[in-house]
Amino acid sequence: MGYVTGLKCRECGRDYPIEPIYVCEFCFGPLEAVYDYKKIKKVLSRRVIERRPKTLWRYKELLPIDGEPQVGLSSGFTPLVKAENLARYIGVKELYIKDDTVAHPTLSFKDRVVAVALTKAKEFGFDTAACASTGNLAHAVSAHGAKAGFKRFIFIPASLEQSKIIASIVYEPNLIAVDGNYDDVNRLCSEIANKYRWAFVNINIRPFYAEGSKTMGFEIVEQLGWEAPDNIVVPCASGSLLTKIWKALKELREIGMLKEVETKIYGAQATGCSPISTAFKKGTDVIKPVKPNTVAKSLAIGNPADGYYALQAVKESGGAMEDVSDEEIVEAIKILAKTEGIFAETAGGVTLATYIKLLKEGKIDKKDSTVLCITGNGLKTSEVLNGRTTEIYYIKPNLASFEETLSRINKKEGR
Amino acid sequence: MGEVKKLRVRLTFPQELIKEPVLFRMAKKYDVMPNIRRARVTDTYGEMILELEGLEENLQEGINSLRQQGVIVELIEGDIIE
Repeated sequence: MGYVTGLKCRECGRDYPIEPIYVCEFCFGPLEAVYDYKKIKKVLSRRVIERRPKTLWRYKELLPIDGEPQVGLSSGFTPLVKAENLARYIGVKELYIKDDTVAHPTLSFKDRVVAVALTKAKEFGFDTAACASTGNLAHAVSAHGAKAGFKRFIFIPASLEQSKIIASIVYEPNLIAVDGNYDDVNRLCSEIANKYRWAFVNINIRPFYAEGSKTMGFEIVEQLGWEAPDNIVVPCASGSLLTKIWKALKELREIGMLKEVETKIYGAQATGCSPISTAFKKGTDVIKPVKPNTVAKSLAIGNPADGYYALQAVKESGGAMEDVSDEEIVEAIKILAKTEGIFAETAGGVTLATYIKLLKEGKIDKKDSTVLCITGNGLKTSEVLNGRTTEIYYIKPNLASFEETLSRINKKEGR
Repeated sequence: MGEVKKLRVRLTFPQELIKEPVLFRMAKKYDVMPNIRRARVTDTYGEMILELEGLEENLQEGINSLRQQGVIVELIEGDIIE
Protein backbone atom coordinates (compact mmCIF):
# COMPACT_ATOMS: atom_id res chain seq x y z
CA MET A 1 0.00 0.00 0.00
CA GLY A 2 1.22 3.47 -0.88
CA TYR A 3 0.82 6.72 0.96
CA VAL A 4 -1.00 8.77 -1.64
CA THR A 5 -4.60 9.38 -0.64
CA GLY A 6 -5.71 10.89 -3.94
CA LEU A 7 -5.27 13.75 -6.37
CA LYS A 8 -6.24 17.36 -5.67
CA CYS A 9 -6.80 20.31 -7.97
CA ARG A 10 -4.13 22.95 -7.36
CA GLU A 11 -6.60 25.70 -8.22
CA CYS A 12 -9.99 24.86 -6.71
CA GLY A 13 -8.98 22.11 -4.29
CA ARG A 14 -11.43 19.48 -5.58
CA ASP A 15 -10.46 15.89 -4.75
CA TYR A 16 -10.04 13.13 -7.31
CA PRO A 17 -9.21 9.41 -7.04
CA ILE A 18 -5.80 7.98 -8.00
CA GLU A 19 -6.29 7.64 -11.74
CA PRO A 20 -4.38 8.56 -14.90
CA ILE A 21 -6.01 11.99 -15.04
CA TYR A 22 -4.30 15.35 -14.95
CA VAL A 23 -6.79 18.15 -15.10
CA CYS A 24 -9.71 19.25 -12.91
CA GLU A 25 -13.00 18.75 -14.75
CA PHE A 26 -14.38 21.94 -13.23
CA CYS A 27 -11.70 24.61 -13.44
CA PHE A 28 -9.15 22.88 -15.72
CA GLY A 29 -6.53 23.33 -12.99
CA PRO A 30 -3.67 20.81 -12.74
CA LEU A 31 -4.00 17.86 -10.36
CA GLU A 32 -1.40 17.00 -7.74
CA ALA A 33 -0.74 13.92 -5.59
CA VAL A 34 -1.76 14.24 -1.92
CA TYR A 35 0.01 12.15 0.74
CA ASP A 36 -0.85 10.97 4.23
CA TYR A 37 2.15 12.53 5.99
CA LYS A 38 1.09 11.29 9.44
CA LYS A 39 1.32 7.73 8.19
CA ILE A 40 4.62 8.39 6.42
CA LYS A 41 6.06 9.94 9.60
CA LYS A 42 5.39 6.69 11.45
CA VAL A 43 7.30 4.47 9.01
CA LEU A 44 10.02 6.71 7.58
CA SER A 45 13.09 7.96 9.39
CA ARG A 46 16.59 9.07 8.42
CA ARG A 47 17.88 5.68 9.58
CA VAL A 48 15.42 3.73 7.46
CA ILE A 49 16.38 5.78 4.40
CA GLU A 50 20.11 5.52 5.03
CA ARG A 51 19.97 1.72 5.13
CA ARG A 52 18.42 1.50 1.66
CA PRO A 53 20.18 1.23 -1.73
CA LYS A 54 21.51 4.51 -3.08
CA THR A 55 18.78 5.17 -5.65
CA LEU A 56 15.87 7.59 -5.82
CA TRP A 57 13.61 4.83 -4.51
CA ARG A 58 15.05 5.17 -1.00
CA TYR A 59 12.33 7.84 -0.58
CA LYS A 60 9.59 5.62 -1.99
CA GLU A 61 7.03 6.49 0.72
CA LEU A 62 7.18 10.09 -0.54
CA LEU A 63 6.61 9.02 -4.14
CA PRO A 64 3.17 8.36 -5.67
CA ILE A 65 3.30 4.59 -6.10
CA ASP A 66 1.20 1.93 -4.40
CA GLY A 67 3.46 -1.12 -4.65
CA GLU A 68 7.19 -1.67 -5.00
CA PRO A 69 9.30 0.30 -7.51
CA GLN A 70 9.38 -1.35 -10.94
CA VAL A 71 11.26 0.99 -13.25
CA GLY A 72 14.56 2.88 -12.89
CA LEU A 73 15.85 0.72 -10.09
CA SER A 74 19.34 2.24 -10.49
CA SER A 75 18.24 5.84 -11.07
CA GLY A 76 18.87 8.77 -8.78
CA PHE A 77 21.24 9.41 -5.88
CA THR A 78 23.67 11.28 -8.10
CA PRO A 79 26.74 12.93 -6.52
CA LEU A 80 26.54 16.19 -4.58
CA VAL A 81 29.95 17.61 -5.38
CA LYS A 82 31.55 20.21 -3.12
CA ALA A 83 32.71 22.65 -5.77
CA GLU A 84 35.78 24.14 -4.10
CA ASN A 85 37.58 25.10 -7.32
CA LEU A 86 34.50 26.77 -8.74
CA ALA A 87 33.82 28.51 -5.41
CA ARG A 88 37.35 29.93 -5.45
CA TYR A 89 37.02 30.93 -9.12
CA ILE A 90 33.91 33.01 -8.52
CA GLY A 91 34.77 34.07 -4.98
CA VAL A 92 32.14 32.41 -2.83
CA LYS A 93 32.41 30.44 0.38
CA GLU A 94 30.36 27.27 0.06
CA LEU A 95 29.13 25.87 -3.22
CA TYR A 96 27.82 22.47 -4.30
CA ILE A 97 26.88 20.90 -7.62
CA LYS A 98 23.98 18.45 -7.62
CA ASP A 99 25.35 16.47 -10.51
CA ASP A 100 22.63 14.88 -12.64
CA THR A 101 24.99 14.86 -15.63
CA VAL A 102 25.62 11.28 -14.49
CA ALA A 103 21.99 10.25 -13.94
CA HIS A 104 21.30 6.64 -14.84
CA PRO A 105 20.59 5.55 -17.53
CA THR A 106 20.32 8.55 -19.91
CA LEU A 107 22.38 11.26 -18.20
CA SER A 108 19.72 13.78 -17.29
CA PHE A 109 17.29 14.39 -14.42
CA LYS A 110 14.49 13.12 -16.67
CA ASP A 111 15.59 9.64 -15.58
CA ARG A 112 14.07 10.47 -12.19
CA VAL A 113 10.66 11.57 -13.39
CA VAL A 114 10.34 8.81 -15.98
CA ALA A 115 11.29 6.12 -13.41
CA VAL A 116 8.36 7.26 -11.29
CA ALA A 117 5.98 7.80 -14.23
CA LEU A 118 6.56 4.35 -15.71
CA THR A 119 6.33 2.56 -12.36
CA LYS A 120 2.95 4.24 -11.95
CA ALA A 121 2.05 3.38 -15.57
CA LYS A 122 2.71 -0.30 -14.75
CA GLU A 123 0.45 -0.04 -11.71
CA PHE A 124 -2.30 1.44 -13.88
CA GLY A 125 -1.87 -1.49 -16.29
CA PHE A 126 -0.65 0.49 -19.32
CA ASP A 127 1.39 -1.38 -21.91
CA THR A 128 2.37 1.68 -23.98
CA ALA A 129 4.42 4.69 -22.90
CA ALA A 130 4.56 7.93 -24.88
CA CYS A 131 5.99 11.43 -24.82
CA ALA A 132 6.71 14.39 -27.07
CA SER A 133 10.27 15.54 -26.76
CA THR A 134 13.24 16.88 -28.65
CA GLY A 135 15.81 15.54 -26.21
CA ASN A 136 16.20 14.44 -22.60
CA LEU A 137 12.63 13.25 -22.02
CA ALA A 138 12.66 11.21 -25.25
CA HIS A 139 15.93 9.58 -24.21
CA ALA A 140 14.59 8.65 -20.77
CA VAL A 141 11.24 7.28 -21.99
CA SER A 142 12.96 5.32 -24.77
CA ALA A 143 15.53 3.75 -22.43
CA HIS A 144 13.48 3.17 -19.26
CA GLY A 145 10.57 1.99 -21.41
CA ALA A 146 12.78 -0.53 -23.22
CA LYS A 147 14.04 -2.04 -19.99
CA ALA A 148 10.54 -2.13 -18.49
CA GLY A 149 9.00 -3.76 -21.58
CA PHE A 150 6.69 -0.95 -22.72
CA LYS A 151 5.66 -0.32 -26.30
CA ARG A 152 6.92 3.21 -26.87
CA PHE A 153 5.78 6.13 -29.00
CA ILE A 154 8.03 9.18 -29.13
CA PHE A 155 6.73 12.25 -30.98
CA ILE A 156 9.10 14.83 -32.43
CA PRO A 157 8.75 17.71 -34.87
CA ALA A 158 9.95 16.43 -38.29
CA SER A 159 12.38 19.38 -38.48
CA LEU A 160 14.47 18.03 -35.58
CA GLU A 161 18.14 17.45 -36.52
CA GLN A 162 19.28 13.84 -37.06
CA SER A 163 21.96 14.19 -34.36
CA LYS A 164 19.25 14.75 -31.72
CA ILE A 165 17.41 11.60 -32.70
CA ILE A 166 20.15 8.96 -32.32
CA ALA A 167 20.10 8.92 -28.51
CA SER A 168 16.39 8.04 -28.63
CA ILE A 169 16.10 5.80 -31.67
CA VAL A 170 18.93 3.52 -30.56
CA TYR A 171 16.47 2.05 -28.01
CA GLU A 172 14.08 1.31 -30.90
CA PRO A 173 10.91 3.08 -29.82
CA ASN A 174 8.35 4.04 -32.47
CA LEU A 175 9.70 7.45 -33.34
CA ILE A 176 6.98 9.54 -34.95
CA ALA A 177 8.20 12.65 -36.76
CA VAL A 178 5.28 15.05 -37.16
CA ASP A 179 5.23 17.32 -40.20
CA GLY A 180 4.31 20.52 -38.39
CA ASN A 181 5.56 23.23 -36.08
CA TYR A 182 5.80 22.93 -32.29
CA ASP A 183 2.22 24.14 -31.82
CA ASP A 184 0.94 21.45 -34.18
CA VAL A 185 2.88 18.71 -32.37
CA ASN A 186 1.67 19.89 -28.97
CA ARG A 187 -1.93 19.91 -30.11
CA LEU A 188 -1.73 16.53 -31.80
CA CYS A 189 -0.19 14.93 -28.71
CA SER A 190 -2.89 16.36 -26.46
CA GLU A 191 -5.47 14.84 -28.81
CA ILE A 192 -3.70 11.47 -28.88
CA ALA A 193 -3.31 11.42 -25.09
CA ASN A 194 -7.03 12.00 -24.67
CA LYS A 195 -8.00 9.35 -27.24
CA TYR A 196 -5.62 6.40 -26.68
CA ARG A 197 -5.19 4.47 -23.46
CA TRP A 198 -1.49 5.12 -23.27
CA ALA A 199 0.76 6.39 -20.50
CA PHE A 200 1.64 9.76 -21.97
CA VAL A 201 4.18 10.57 -19.28
CA ASN A 202 3.86 14.34 -19.21
CA ILE A 203 0.15 14.51 -19.99
CA ASN A 204 -2.14 11.98 -18.32
CA ILE A 205 0.63 10.66 -16.02
CA ARG A 206 1.88 14.16 -15.22
CA PRO A 207 0.70 14.33 -11.58
CA PHE A 208 2.81 11.22 -10.85
CA TYR A 209 5.66 11.94 -13.28
CA ALA A 210 6.31 15.38 -11.80
CA GLU A 211 6.65 14.01 -8.27
CA GLY A 212 9.85 12.22 -9.32
CA SER A 213 11.59 15.61 -9.34
CA LYS A 214 11.25 15.81 -5.56
CA THR A 215 13.98 13.20 -5.23
CA MET A 216 16.55 15.79 -6.29
CA GLY A 217 15.51 17.89 -3.29
CA PHE A 218 15.50 14.92 -0.88
CA GLU A 219 18.97 13.89 -2.00
CA ILE A 220 20.40 17.41 -1.60
CA VAL A 221 19.22 17.52 2.01
CA GLU A 222 20.40 13.99 2.84
CA GLN A 223 23.78 14.51 1.17
CA LEU A 224 24.30 17.70 3.21
CA GLY A 225 23.87 15.65 6.38
CA TRP A 226 20.12 16.25 6.64
CA GLU A 227 20.44 19.99 6.38
CA ALA A 228 18.93 22.30 3.81
CA PRO A 229 21.31 24.77 2.11
CA ASP A 230 20.81 28.54 2.22
CA ASN A 231 20.06 28.63 -1.52
CA ILE A 232 19.20 26.26 -4.35
CA VAL A 233 19.45 27.45 -7.97
CA VAL A 234 17.19 25.49 -10.32
CA PRO A 235 16.85 25.73 -14.11
CA CYS A 236 13.28 26.32 -15.29
CA ALA A 237 11.63 24.90 -18.40
CA SER A 238 8.05 23.95 -17.45
CA GLY A 239 8.84 25.11 -13.90
CA SER A 240 8.00 21.68 -12.50
CA LEU A 241 11.47 20.81 -11.14
CA LEU A 242 11.69 24.02 -9.14
CA THR A 243 8.18 23.60 -7.77
CA LYS A 244 8.89 20.03 -6.70
CA ILE A 245 12.24 20.78 -5.06
CA TRP A 246 10.45 23.34 -2.94
CA LYS A 247 7.74 20.76 -2.19
CA ALA A 248 10.44 18.22 -1.21
CA LEU A 249 11.89 20.57 1.40
CA LYS A 250 8.47 21.29 2.86
CA GLU A 251 7.63 17.59 2.98
CA LEU A 252 10.84 16.82 4.88
CA ARG A 253 9.83 19.46 7.40
CA GLU A 254 6.30 18.04 7.55
CA ILE A 255 7.55 14.57 8.48
CA GLY A 256 10.11 15.92 10.93
CA MET A 257 13.30 15.28 9.00
CA LEU A 258 14.09 18.99 8.72
CA LYS A 259 13.50 21.38 11.60
CA GLU A 260 13.19 24.51 9.55
CA VAL A 261 13.12 25.36 5.87
CA GLU A 262 14.89 28.65 5.35
CA THR A 263 16.23 27.81 1.91
CA LYS A 264 15.71 30.38 -0.80
CA ILE A 265 14.86 28.96 -4.21
CA TYR A 266 16.22 30.73 -7.29
CA GLY A 267 14.95 30.08 -10.80
CA ALA A 268 17.26 30.19 -13.82
CA GLN A 269 16.18 30.75 -17.43
CA ALA A 270 17.75 31.63 -20.76
CA THR A 271 16.86 35.18 -21.84
CA GLY A 272 15.72 33.73 -25.18
CA CYS A 273 13.00 31.80 -23.36
CA SER A 274 12.27 33.48 -20.06
CA PRO A 275 8.51 33.70 -19.50
CA ILE A 276 8.77 32.90 -15.77
CA SER A 277 11.74 35.15 -15.08
CA THR A 278 10.06 37.97 -17.02
CA ALA A 279 6.89 37.65 -14.93
CA PHE A 280 8.98 37.69 -11.74
CA LYS A 281 10.87 40.80 -12.77
CA LYS A 282 7.70 42.57 -13.89
CA GLY A 283 6.01 41.67 -10.62
CA THR A 284 3.03 40.00 -12.29
CA ASP A 285 1.45 36.59 -11.71
CA VAL A 286 0.47 36.09 -15.34
CA ILE A 287 3.02 34.11 -17.33
CA LYS A 288 2.96 35.43 -20.89
CA PRO A 289 3.89 32.63 -23.35
CA VAL A 290 6.85 33.32 -25.65
CA LYS A 291 8.42 31.83 -28.77
CA PRO A 292 11.75 30.36 -27.63
CA ASN A 293 15.02 31.44 -29.21
CA THR A 294 17.97 30.14 -27.22
CA VAL A 295 20.81 27.61 -27.36
CA ALA A 296 19.38 26.06 -24.20
CA LYS A 297 16.95 23.81 -26.09
CA SER A 298 16.15 21.62 -23.08
CA LEU A 299 14.73 24.72 -21.35
CA ALA A 300 12.94 26.07 -24.43
CA ILE A 301 9.39 25.82 -23.15
CA GLY A 302 7.57 29.00 -24.15
CA ASN A 303 4.29 28.08 -22.45
CA PRO A 304 5.38 26.53 -19.14
CA ALA A 305 2.70 24.36 -17.51
CA ASP A 306 3.99 25.03 -13.99
CA GLY A 307 5.28 28.54 -14.55
CA TYR A 308 2.77 30.12 -12.18
CA TYR A 309 3.53 27.62 -9.41
CA ALA A 310 7.30 27.99 -9.87
CA LEU A 311 6.85 31.74 -9.51
CA GLN A 312 4.89 31.26 -6.28
CA ALA A 313 7.55 28.87 -4.90
CA VAL A 314 10.33 31.37 -5.62
CA LYS A 315 8.38 34.17 -3.93
CA GLU A 316 7.31 32.06 -0.95
CA SER A 317 10.92 31.04 -0.30
CA GLY A 318 12.23 34.60 -0.60
CA GLY A 319 14.34 33.76 -3.68
CA ALA A 320 14.44 35.39 -7.10
CA MET A 321 14.47 34.64 -10.84
CA GLU A 322 17.02 35.73 -13.39
CA ASP A 323 17.85 34.97 -17.02
CA VAL A 324 21.08 34.91 -19.00
CA SER A 325 22.25 35.30 -22.60
CA ASP A 326 23.48 32.50 -24.86
CA GLU A 327 27.04 33.85 -24.52
CA GLU A 328 26.83 33.71 -20.73
CA ILE A 329 25.45 30.15 -20.96
CA VAL A 330 28.33 28.89 -23.11
CA GLU A 331 30.90 30.68 -20.94
CA ALA A 332 29.41 29.07 -17.80
CA ILE A 333 29.55 25.57 -19.35
CA LYS A 334 33.27 26.14 -19.91
CA ILE A 335 33.85 27.50 -16.40
CA LEU A 336 32.15 24.48 -14.81
CA ALA A 337 34.15 22.08 -16.97
CA LYS A 338 37.56 23.67 -16.35
CA THR A 339 37.09 24.15 -12.61
CA GLU A 340 35.14 21.08 -11.52
CA GLY A 341 35.61 18.64 -14.38
CA ILE A 342 31.87 18.48 -14.96
CA PHE A 343 30.56 18.83 -18.51
CA ALA A 344 27.00 20.10 -18.34
CA GLU A 345 24.49 20.58 -21.11
CA THR A 346 23.24 24.07 -21.88
CA ALA A 347 20.73 23.99 -19.02
CA GLY A 348 23.68 23.62 -16.63
CA GLY A 349 25.26 26.67 -18.22
CA VAL A 350 22.01 28.55 -17.58
CA THR A 351 22.06 27.57 -13.90
CA LEU A 352 25.67 28.54 -13.25
CA ALA A 353 25.48 31.77 -15.30
CA THR A 354 22.31 32.77 -13.46
CA TYR A 355 23.99 32.11 -10.11
CA ILE A 356 26.93 34.33 -11.10
CA LYS A 357 24.50 37.06 -12.22
CA LEU A 358 22.50 36.84 -9.00
CA LEU A 359 25.75 37.17 -6.99
CA LYS A 360 26.69 40.28 -8.97
CA GLU A 361 23.25 41.75 -8.39
CA GLY A 362 23.63 41.10 -4.67
CA LYS A 363 20.58 38.83 -4.64
CA ILE A 364 22.63 35.90 -3.34
CA ASP A 365 25.14 36.38 -0.53
CA LYS A 366 28.70 35.19 -1.19
CA LYS A 367 28.89 33.78 2.33
CA ASP A 368 25.81 31.55 1.87
CA SER A 369 25.84 27.84 1.10
CA THR A 370 24.40 27.30 -2.37
CA VAL A 371 23.50 24.21 -4.38
CA LEU A 372 23.38 24.44 -8.17
CA CYS A 373 21.13 21.87 -9.85
CA ILE A 374 22.98 20.66 -12.94
CA THR A 375 20.40 18.61 -14.77
CA GLY A 376 21.97 17.09 -17.88
CA ASN A 377 25.16 15.96 -19.57
CA GLY A 378 27.15 18.19 -21.92
CA LEU A 379 27.67 15.41 -24.47
CA LYS A 380 24.02 15.92 -25.39
CA THR A 381 24.54 19.50 -26.53
CA SER A 382 28.24 19.57 -27.39
CA GLU A 383 27.57 21.37 -30.70
CA VAL A 384 27.11 24.69 -28.85
CA LEU A 385 30.84 24.65 -28.11
CA ASN A 386 31.88 24.32 -31.76
CA GLY A 387 34.38 27.09 -32.44
CA ARG A 388 34.17 28.27 -28.82
CA THR A 389 36.76 26.04 -27.17
CA THR A 390 40.49 26.53 -26.61
CA GLU A 391 42.77 25.77 -29.54
CA ILE A 392 44.07 22.34 -30.51
CA TYR A 393 47.84 22.02 -30.94
CA TYR A 394 48.64 20.21 -34.21
CA ILE A 395 52.19 18.81 -34.38
CA LYS A 396 54.37 16.66 -36.61
CA PRO A 397 55.11 13.11 -35.35
CA ASN A 398 58.54 14.01 -33.96
CA LEU A 399 59.97 15.22 -30.66
CA ALA A 400 61.21 18.55 -32.05
CA SER A 401 57.74 19.52 -33.19
CA PHE A 402 56.29 18.53 -29.81
CA GLU A 403 58.93 20.46 -27.87
CA GLU A 404 58.44 23.54 -29.98
CA THR A 405 54.73 23.44 -29.15
CA LEU A 406 55.43 22.67 -25.50
CA SER A 407 57.57 25.77 -25.17
CA ARG A 408 54.76 27.79 -26.80
CA ILE A 409 52.30 26.35 -24.24
CA ASN A 410 54.64 27.05 -21.32
CA LYS A 411 55.14 30.62 -22.50
CA LYS A 412 51.38 31.11 -22.82
CA GLU A 413 50.82 29.76 -19.34
CA GLY A 414 53.62 31.91 -17.93
CA ARG A 415 55.99 29.07 -17.01
CA MET B 1 -19.17 18.83 -42.72
CA GLY B 2 -16.25 18.35 -40.32
CA GLU B 3 -16.24 16.83 -36.88
CA VAL B 4 -17.37 18.69 -33.74
CA LYS B 5 -14.39 19.06 -31.42
CA LYS B 6 -13.64 20.42 -27.98
CA LEU B 7 -10.41 22.22 -27.23
CA ARG B 8 -9.22 23.34 -23.80
CA VAL B 9 -7.15 26.48 -24.13
CA ARG B 10 -5.59 29.33 -22.23
CA LEU B 11 -5.96 32.77 -23.75
CA THR B 12 -3.61 35.59 -22.84
CA PHE B 13 -4.91 39.04 -23.79
CA PRO B 14 -2.58 42.00 -24.25
CA GLN B 15 -3.41 45.14 -22.31
CA GLU B 16 -5.08 46.92 -25.25
CA LEU B 17 -7.60 44.08 -25.73
CA ILE B 18 -8.63 43.63 -22.10
CA LYS B 19 -11.70 45.89 -22.54
CA GLU B 20 -12.74 44.50 -25.93
CA PRO B 21 -15.37 41.73 -26.34
CA VAL B 22 -12.89 39.72 -28.43
CA LEU B 23 -14.12 36.30 -27.38
CA PHE B 24 -17.81 37.06 -27.91
CA ARG B 25 -17.18 38.37 -31.41
CA MET B 26 -15.10 35.33 -32.35
CA ALA B 27 -17.71 32.93 -30.92
CA LYS B 28 -20.50 34.58 -32.89
CA LYS B 29 -18.64 34.89 -36.15
CA TYR B 30 -17.31 31.32 -36.25
CA ASP B 31 -20.14 29.56 -34.38
CA VAL B 32 -17.82 28.41 -31.61
CA MET B 33 -19.18 27.80 -28.10
CA PRO B 34 -16.89 29.07 -25.32
CA ASN B 35 -17.23 27.59 -21.84
CA ILE B 36 -15.16 29.71 -19.44
CA ARG B 37 -13.72 27.99 -16.37
CA ARG B 38 -11.27 30.48 -14.95
CA ALA B 39 -10.12 34.02 -15.63
CA ARG B 40 -7.68 36.49 -14.18
CA VAL B 41 -7.17 40.08 -15.15
CA THR B 42 -4.35 42.36 -14.03
CA ASP B 43 -3.66 45.90 -15.21
CA THR B 44 -1.29 44.61 -17.89
CA TYR B 45 -2.61 41.19 -19.00
CA GLY B 46 -5.83 39.26 -19.11
CA GLU B 47 -5.83 35.46 -18.85
CA MET B 48 -8.73 33.09 -19.46
CA ILE B 49 -8.97 29.32 -19.25
CA LEU B 50 -11.82 27.83 -21.20
CA GLU B 51 -13.16 25.14 -23.50
CA LEU B 52 -14.03 25.92 -27.10
CA GLU B 53 -16.47 23.66 -28.91
CA GLY B 54 -17.30 23.71 -32.60
CA LEU B 55 -16.63 22.23 -36.00
CA GLU B 56 -12.93 21.59 -36.43
CA GLU B 57 -12.51 24.11 -39.24
CA ASN B 58 -14.48 26.76 -37.34
CA LEU B 59 -12.34 26.22 -34.26
CA GLN B 60 -9.19 26.65 -36.31
CA GLU B 61 -10.47 29.81 -38.00
CA GLY B 62 -11.68 31.20 -34.68
CA ILE B 63 -8.32 30.57 -33.04
CA ASN B 64 -6.52 32.09 -36.02
CA SER B 65 -8.65 35.21 -35.75
CA LEU B 66 -7.88 35.54 -32.03
CA ARG B 67 -4.16 35.19 -32.79
CA GLN B 68 -4.36 37.79 -35.55
CA GLN B 69 -5.80 40.24 -33.05
CA GLY B 70 -2.87 39.64 -30.69
CA VAL B 71 -4.38 37.11 -28.30
CA ILE B 72 -1.97 34.28 -27.37
CA VAL B 73 -3.77 30.94 -27.67
CA GLU B 74 -2.12 27.93 -26.01
CA LEU B 75 -3.16 24.52 -24.74
CA ILE B 76 -3.96 24.32 -21.02
CA GLU B 77 -1.45 21.46 -20.77
CA GLY B 78 1.34 23.93 -21.43
CA ASP B 79 4.00 22.94 -23.95
CA ILE B 80 3.95 19.16 -24.20
CA ILE B 81 7.21 18.88 -26.11
CA GLU B 82 9.92 18.82 -23.46
